[in-house]
Amino acid sequence: MSNRKLVIEPVTRVEGHGKVTIKLDENGKVEDAFLHIVEFRGFEKFIQGHPYWEAPVLVQRLCGICPVSHHLAAAKAIDQLVGIDPDSLSPIATKLRRLLHYGQIFQSHALHFFYLASPDLLFGVDAPAEKRNVVAVATENKELAKKGILMRKFGQEIIKALAGKKIHGILAVPGGVHKTFMPEERDYFLDGKEIPNIDTMIEWSKEIVDFMKSYHAENAKWIDSFARYPSNHLSLVHKETGALELYDGRLRSIDARGKELMNIADIEYSYHFKEAVEPWSYLKFPYMKEYGRENGWNRVGPLARINTCTHINTPLAEAERKIFKAYTKDFPNNMTMHTHWARLIEMLHCAELMKELLLDDDIMGNDLVRKGTTRNKGIGIIEAPRGTLIHEYHTDDKGLITKCNLIVSTTHNNEAMNRGVRSVAKEVLSEKPEITEPMLNQIEIAIRAYDPCLSCATHALGQMPLIVRLEDYQGNIIDEKVRS
Amino acid sequence: MKKLGHKTIIIGIGNNGRQDDGLGWSFLDLINEDELPFDLEYRYQLQIEDAELISKYDNVIFVDACKTEIEEGYDLYPCLPADNYSFSTHALSPETILYITNELYNINPNAQILAIHGINYELEIGLSSIASKNLKRAYKYFKDKIASKYFVLTKNY
Repeated sequence: MSNRKLVIEPVTRVEGHGKVTIKLDENGKVEDAFLHIVEFRGFEKFIQGHPYWEAPVLVQRLCGICPVSHHLAAAKAIDQLVGIDPDSLSPIATKLRRLLHYGQIFQSHALHFFYLASPDLLFGVDAPAEKRNVVAVATENKELAKKGILMRKFGQEIIKALAGKKIHGILAVPGGVHKTFMPEERDYFLDGKEIPNIDTMIEWSKEIVDFMKSYHAENAKWIDSFARYPSNHLSLVHKETGALELYDGRLRSIDARGKELMNIADIEYSYHFKEAVEPWSYLKFPYMKEYGRENGWNRVGPLARINTCTHINTPLAEAERKIFKAYTKDFPNNMTMHTHWARLIEMLHCAELMKELLLDDDIMGNDLVRKGTTRNKGIGIIEAPRGTLIHEYHTDDKGLITKCNLIVSTTHNNEAMNRGVRSVAKEVLSEKPEITEPMLNQIEIAIRAYDPCLSCATHALGQMPLIVRLEDYQGNIIDEKVRS
Repeated sequence: MKKLGHKTIIIGIGNNGRQDDGLGWSFLDLINEDELPFDLEYRYQLQIEDAELISKYDNVIFVDACKTEIEEGYDLYPCLPADNYSFSTHALSPETILYITNELYNINPNAQILAIHGINYELEIGLSSIASKNLKRAYKYFKDKIASKYFVLTKNY
């Protein structure tokens, strides 16, 4: 057998377009594996010259799945350009933005679990490709599917109520928000007449966490070992208490054994991070300067957040966090597939937080916008569904954007996803006489655990046929399969 | 908040930032201007939750741009449930949405697809002249059709 190269392009059931190359040596052993992000990036450039107040509207067009996250990260940065730090924003505006944010994370996590991840969990990694999709989940697990649909719908309706529409709506304006919540809007989410209410969302979220725990108990060997590797973990945490924090906090990183590597004010991020580039990917590789390219990279997202926080400030999610942490005896959890479990704990947390806010009369208040002394630099960092999201803008004295830097969650996870691909490739593909479709799917599962948004990371549009290409060491195609 | 006002929903699929891909949305804009009595939804793509949405209606019309050349510039044809889902994406076809509605909710709304021919799909706002012409034709046909007592979707909409 000659040296050869396997290509999975694009990776499926992720947002956007990527491909995987697996290099085999002459004995069929995996030499190396790479996740290439091949979409083109351009937002940071073409926003230059636009007025700063357009940023929260324009930049959310990066994505149709998490536009709210980009809208809010940009808004936090733009607040600073009009002289408003997060603590100076009116409490009402902060609560309305948080409600929007929790609705977004709730619907995004529901989308990922029910639509993208559950086919692998319910049908198994070696199920026929034509069965591993959301339609098969819907037809074979009707009650689960109905709940998944309504949970996603609930989050989307929260977004629509606050931002005007489910995708690419607008709530935030420089220094605040432009709209308050109306009593009838609140009733819609509380009375359960037209859609299942927030108590039902909490109940169903708890059920899904229980489902995941049962699934883990039955499949612990696979879930615990699949794509497992040590890493640092990075997220925002609450400024005073260290609790799980999704909207505003300090940046904290710990290593694979729990040692704190970094704990900084979020706006200091640029002094502590660098981004490396590789010739085979448009996606950069961020790392902490102090620890270097090899040791300074982090995982971000649900697993990282549950690892870095000291506790969760809602009771049901905190109880689940304790169970989750007990499994690793309070050490950081480095088991990639446990990201699904962590994601569902966060979904429960967001449901609890939404209830708190929906019952808070402040969300119907009118102190919506504040102004201070204008500045020329703003940095907004939030925890998007997929992890830490950084927006930075610089303006000239006319308020036109001169520089923009975006580090999205998927970019932080670039090194982690590549390690996952390498780990699984070596585990399942090495020295096998035949490369089967389920084997290739396992590579994708390792990536899918991160719920990567490749469109966000590189900001592209495109169609997604799947091409699997087998090449020899000189790059000659010796086999190719296409599915769409 | 969504109030179910009518028995027919018209779903425009597309993206008006991609030239003629905005035909579905433009069609809904015309209905809005004329204040015709339908519930309207704009979509970039259909997703599984749309199965729940259309389960609330007796009738559904999906309006989308199509690349295939059609003699009249448009075509209205029945949409039948089919489990022809794509492997790689969570964007679903009208036929699949209908299939899921039937599977999950045991409801099978009367469904039709209105395809309008477009020719340009690049990153630009605005319909081509051919697409605009086809849109006008399709809309006139639709208005004539719903005025007809023989049009099935006009029943109690």
